[in-house]
Amino acid sequence: MEPIIEIKNLTKLYGNGRGIEDINLDIFPGDIFGFLGPNGAGKTTAMKIMTGLIRPERGDVKILGYSVTEDYEKAMEKVGCLIEIAESYTYLTAFDNLKQLARYYPDVDHKRIDEVLELTGMSKYKNEKPKKFSLGMKQRLGLAAAILSRPKVVILDEPLNGLDVEGMIDIRKMIHRLAEKEQTTFFISSHLIHDVELTCNRIGVIYNGKILNVDSTQTILNNYATLENYFVSEVERNGRVSSCAR
Amino acid sequence: MKVKKKTAMLVSFTLGTLLLATTALADIATKSGYDQLKDALKVTAEQSSEKFDSFTMDLSIAMKDNGKTLMTENEIRKYNRSMSATESLSSGEDLTRGKHNSQVYLDKTTMIRVSDSDPTYYVTEFTKERKEETFSNPFKENRAEDIEKIADAVVGSLKDHVVVTENPDGSKGLAGSLTEVQIPSLVNAVASFQMKQEFDGRQDNLPHLTKDVFVKEVKGTAKVNKDGVLESILGTAQLSGIDDQGTVHEVTIEVLGKLSGINSTTVTKPDLSGKTVIKNIANSDNSSSEITSPEKFVGKFKNDILIEKNNKFVKVGERFIEISQIDNETVTGRYYEVFKPGYEEYTTPNRDFAINAKRANEKNSSDYEYTTSSGIKGNLFFDQYAGKIFLNGRTPSLGSLIFDSTFNPDVE
Amino acid sequence: MAVFQAALVNEIEKLYKKKKALVAVLLSLAVIVLGQLVIVGVRSGFGLRGAGSLEFPMLVLSVVVNTVLPLFTALVAIDSFSGEFSHNSMRITLTRPVSRFKIYTAKITAIVIFILATLLLLLVFSMLVGFIFNTNSATLDSIVRTLFSYIVSLFPMIVLALGIVLLANLFKSGISVFFVSILIFIVLKVLGVVFSQYSSLFMTTQLDWYNLFLVNSFPLGKIVRQFLIMLGSGIMLFTAGLYLFDKKEF
Repeated sequence: MEPIIEIKNLTKLYGNGRGIEDINLDIFPGDIFGFLGPNGAGKTTAMKIMTGLIRPERGDVKILGYSVTEDYEKAMEKVGCLIEIAESYTYLTAFDNLKQLARYYPDVDHKRIDEVLELTGMSKYKNEKPKKFSLGMKQRLGLAAAILSRPKVVILDEPLNGLDVEGMIDIRKMIHRLAEKEQTTFFISSHLIHDVELTCNRIGVIYNGKILNVDSTQTILNNYATLENYFVSEVERNGRVSSCAR
Repeated sequence: MKVKKKTAMLVSFTLGTLLLATTALADIATKSGYDQLKDALKVTAEQSSEKFDSFTMDLSIAMKDNGKTLMTENEIRKYNRSMSATESLSSGEDLTRGKHNSQVYLDKTTMIRVSDSDPTYYVTEFTKERKEETFSNPFKENRAEDIEKIADAVVGSLKDHVVVTENPDGSKGLAGSLTEVQIPSLVNAVASFQMKQEFDGRQDNLPHLTKDVFVKEVKGTAKVNKDGVLESILGTAQLSGIDDQGTVHEVTIEVLGKLSGINSTTVTKPDLSGKTVIKNIANSDNSSSEITSPEKFVGKFKNDILIEKNNKFVKVGERFIEISQIDNETVTGRYYEVFKPGYEEYTTPNRDFAINAKRANEKNSSDYEYTTSSGIKGNLFFDQYAGKIFLNGRTPSLGSLIFDSTFNPDVE
Repeated sequence: MAVFQAALVNEIEKLYKKKKALVAVLLSLAVIVLGQLVIVGVRSGFGLRGAGSLEFPMLVLSVVVNTVLPLFTALVAIDSFSGEFSHNSMRITLTRPVSRFKIYTAKITAIVIFILATLLLLLVFSMLVGFIFNTNSATLDSIVRTLFSYIVSLFPMIVLALGIVLLANLFKSGISVFFVSILIFIVLKVLGVVFSQYSSLFMTTQLDWYNLFLVNSFPLGKIVRQFLIMLGSGIMLFTAGLYLFDKKEF
């Protein structure tokens, strides 16, 4: 099967030694990929490179066969994303915010905007400006923006940030429904192990800028009691490796 | 693709730089008409003050109101640098005074003036040779450079209104004109305001402009010969305005300057034979601070002491200054007052003192300073043209006496 | 092209919805009203014409190209770049299928459209005010020249905007961009006076280049040179700004 996202030798190191080093990952259609790692492991860096916000030092990311660094417009054509905090123009209404984005996709009309607002439960705030929105509401609007264009790939960086339990459940339902109905592939980063366990069907662990292991949720749960146990053992194994090397 | 983008950026940046650099160089190398005019003025001033032995400058001004001549002025100046001689003939006409002519001749030792209103030739002979230059270069004055900068800044973007046409013989024609829209509004407003002050109705011959005053047009042409010397320059300005009666006036001012007769101008001294001549001897025309033959001031000078009484001035006595000795360094003499009988009560010893004055140290000052025995300081100024002495100084309280500092010679 | 168009429409919508542009336009109109009041004052107080119906638009232009127009250009350009950098709202556009080159160009085009709109608005209003309140002095020639003067004033403004955009990509905070811009503006103005023989190379002198179009003889050589100088510096500034924008990390 052709990978939908292909990450090859991706390297980006910051002056403080943080960053990512030599990441290789293949995401396949239908995956709800969980990118698991502690704060500062390099999740956001990797995702920013994937969405073209920063340039890699080495390596490349291909989405649907197009390189992000060289053929950005084509690569992003069927991608929706939400990186870090969901940003919006505070002087435009929720609807107008989405209308701005809709212009980049010829087949997204006002009906679709209403649709995604409904999907994320933002319909009643349609004509309000995000100035007064809570973090959770902003996050919902950000998600609406990410799925607006009926993307084949959705890249979400900590999508549950600031959401209450109800919100988390809503969003998870939405992800599952999209994956099922529209065969949308998800790439979701999170540090919430429990949430990743419930949402994702494949999981990659990143630690100190390196990918430790990639496996399907099913296989992991067959071998470990919980995802948490798996994560801890993976990190420990890596720690041993690095201490041996030392 | 990535390499292509970088190359594209590099190429476009280089292209921009090259375009900027080459055009900038070309632009600096190209002199605007204004710069060429300035150069011509500089060359002309320099040549006139240093190189040409003789030349004639002709300057005329004419002012017209709706085509009717209000005033003309013309001045022809002939310079002979090697002889340090100049001759100027001025003539003019205006509505109130009619025609007038005058002539001035000046060389190292003589100045002769005559005008048509008074056929007498006034001749001044200088005892010392004048050292002044016949024609001094205005661009070499102290602040010329600053003034040039300011002028450049004011002219600013108008520089390009001067058009240059080059003739096959190497000479150049410069022309420029500015109409209302082209003149910056601020410049127009300031100029109109200045001109409006001129036409404020106080001079009978000029129209009184009260409303809607503005500069309508400014034009100029100039000719530069092949040596870069400005041969002629003509400027015309047109001012429009409405007077109290609602009549529209278009006042035109024309200024024409010409330079001719380079190295072929002759300056001739007027023939004084058979003419009424008044002679005057001067040390040098501008060193008025030195008194020629100061002995003429030896003698008595006086004025009247007045008081105000019953709304009338009443003479109560006389003040005297007696000069016993004077030269260009020192003066000795006496100051005293004499009161008429009946007014002797005004006499005070303070105002009777000997004068031992010395010429002030400062250059060009013709004051003689003295200190009286009672410590009062003062100074004397001798006006050799009016034949008067001025006394300045702190005088003791005069009471009701009126003080007069001017003393006339007591010649009877 | 469709993508660029979308980006451009977005930028214009943002400008329009942000009210800042609206304030700028209103302030420009205030300048006209103020200018007309001054003219009326000069006329009744000193008896000068001050400005005829067509000199008034020129008077307005000569004032605004050196004052409010560069100021608003700076504010809009800084807001479009520094403003979005600091609020991270640049990411909203950047993660869409649109290249950075197109975003950059769209932003600059939007600024140019804003300047053009302001200029045209100033032209129309100052002409209207001029015709209503001032002595009629219009001729067809002068109308054409006035129109031309306004339109060509766009070019130096674009160069100015590109310069400010470059600064906005160079410095982090919008406020420092603003003050550096003002400082450079003043320095160039002073240099233009001190080195008047080179003044045609300075951006600040070029702001007045519309005067060249008023010259009777139409100094084509000079106009072409000035245009090429602006074009050259415009290309340089555009490319330098694009380079910085393209490699910026968000």
